[in-house]
Amino acid sequence: MARGTALRLRGEFREDTAKALAQRLIELGKGAEIFDDALVSRLGPAAGLACRLLVRNGVFVVIVSEHVEPDCECKCIALDPHDTPDFAAEKILDMLAHENLVSIESHDYSPDEEEEIRRRLADIGYIE
Amino acid sequence: MGNRSKRLLVIGLDCATPQFVFGPERFELPNLARLMSEGCWGPMQTCHPPITVPAWAVMMSSKDPGTLGVYGFRNRADYSYNGMTTANAAAIKEPRLWDILSQHGKKSVVLAVPQTYPVKPVNGWLVGGFLTPDTKTAYTYPKSLKTELEREVGEYIIDVKDFRTEDRHGLLKRIYALMENRFAQAEYLIRTRPWDFFMMVEMGVDRLHHAFWRFTDPSHPLFEPDNEFRAVIRDYYQAVDRRIGNLLQHVDEDTAILVVSDHGARAMHGGVCLNEWLMRQGYLVLQETLEGRKRIEDCSIDWSRTRAWGSGGYYGRIFFNVEGREPNGVVPAASYEAFRSKMIEEIEGMKGPDGSLLGNKVYRPQELYANVRGIAPDLFVYFGNLAWRSVGSVGFSDVFTFENDTGPDDADHDFHGIFILRDASARTGKVYPVVNILDIAPTLLDILGVPIPSDMQGRVLQ
Repeated sequence: MARGTALRLRGEFREDTAKALAQRLIELGKGAEIFDDALVSRLGPAAGLACRLLVRNGVFVVIVSEHVEPDCECKCIALDPHDTPDFAAEKILDMLAHENLVSIESHDYSPDEEEEIRRRLADIGYIE
Repeated sequence: MGNRSKRLLVIGLDCATPQFVFGPERFELPNLARLMSEGCWGPMQTCHPPITVPAWAVMMSSKDPGTLGVYGFRNRADYSYNGMTTANAAAIKEPRLWDILSQHGKKSVVLAVPQTYPVKPVNGWLVGGFLTPDTKTAYTYPKSLKTELEREVGEYIIDVKDFRTEDRHGLLKRIYALMENRFAQAEYLIRTRPWDFFMMVEMGVDRLHHAFWRFTDPSHPLFEPDNEFRAVIRDYYQAVDRRIGNLLQHVDEDTAILVVSDHGARAMHGGVCLNEWLMRQGYLVLQETLEGRKRIEDCSIDWSRTRAWGSGGYYGRIFFNVEGREPNGVVPAASYEAFRSKMIEEIEGMKGPDGSLLGNKVYRPQELYANVRGIAPDLFVYFGNLAWRSVGSVGFSDVFTFENDTGPDDADHDFHGIFILRDASARTGKVYPVVNILDIAPTLLDILGVPIPSDMQGRVLQ
């Protein structure tokens, strides 16, 4: 099973960034859970253990609550206040990709799209 | 230069041409005129080739096309005979302005700038340019922006559909619809996003020139004085000027404003059938007898006897069939340069239909660029210095043609675009004889107080 990891986000827009990051991780086929104050409160003293179990099962745990100490290794990320949450999430994904924890897709034209663009460029006159 | 601006708005008008904005017969464009009087301006010298791709990427990276490894819309992916790929965003490996600004915590809105599809993350919001294949694709960053824009502004009009048509009234409506759609998106984004850098590109000016130039320019061979479309280019420029005026209402005095184009336009006098010429000179040999016109890509070529072939468009590109480089190369590598010099001499000596020199310009990539990356054409050709387009198809009865086999097209590109900058610097009041496209990105970074990467090839405008 692929590894998960625990990430603790710190910064003004950590909750929005966590949502954007979890969404992107899910798009990339990964499991993701956000540990915010509400979830940590519901889990109570078991929250740290829950982190470890999820990570062990390949889930990316994104922690934005200060009221939990995960019972496993956790990367702490200080968010740049100038970044949009989406861009901050992409920077984190880049870091995860660098550590081979995720593989970021590189989208290019399909053969049909390539032909559609070629036809359109010829129609406009840029090419023949 | 000092006196930096807090924000920067770039309004790109693809193909907007100096004669209509700066020249003695310029149109009445009050908003652009105000920016000129409050700022600095001049014609902008674009890159080789003077084409949308690569020009906007050159402008935003301050790297020449050779350094980018992008020589036009379609580039050779390898040395095979048919390995051509479209140069979309994935082809641009150098950072563009918004990439650099993202690294410095500046937020950008990038709207419909060419070569931004497939979209890449930016610290801000991005809508892919006209190389977006379809609105079904994920053409925005972040993805959620697509739904929001379609809900608030309407469907994204990527480009003018059915461009090759004799129905000029319908075409004009579609060009206006493209422009209105782009400015509506811009006005929505400029109001709703906390940006430091905002850039949009309007493609309609380019489409308008190609479709209607003959009706405006008395020097065009097909010009008729009393035609019903005589004023459409002027009217369109004035409509764009009004939309710019609306957009400017959303920015304050601390915002620097650049209105810029990637190249200009000029009358197209006809086409030079490049591959017909190569065949007649004995450089290109087909294995088939032609019955009618045909794209060169669809022809059966005798590569064992072919030394060069070309591709068409607003400029010509010639590729040599070199021994040890192409699969069935016949031009000995040792005589490559001699062969290239001979061909330059022959093309520059080409005479037009009236028997006088056509005035062709031919360039080796190595003399144009600081680096030649990827696979460049062996020669760039500007027929009549861009008064004539390059026709790549074969099956014509002559080397020269006065019709476009893909439909009406009145204009070719020109080397000078427009540059109008209003900022808080000492440049105010200057009229530049010419502004180099490579100088734009460093100047914009300087305006925003962001360090200029040392490998940019331009300099800050003084």
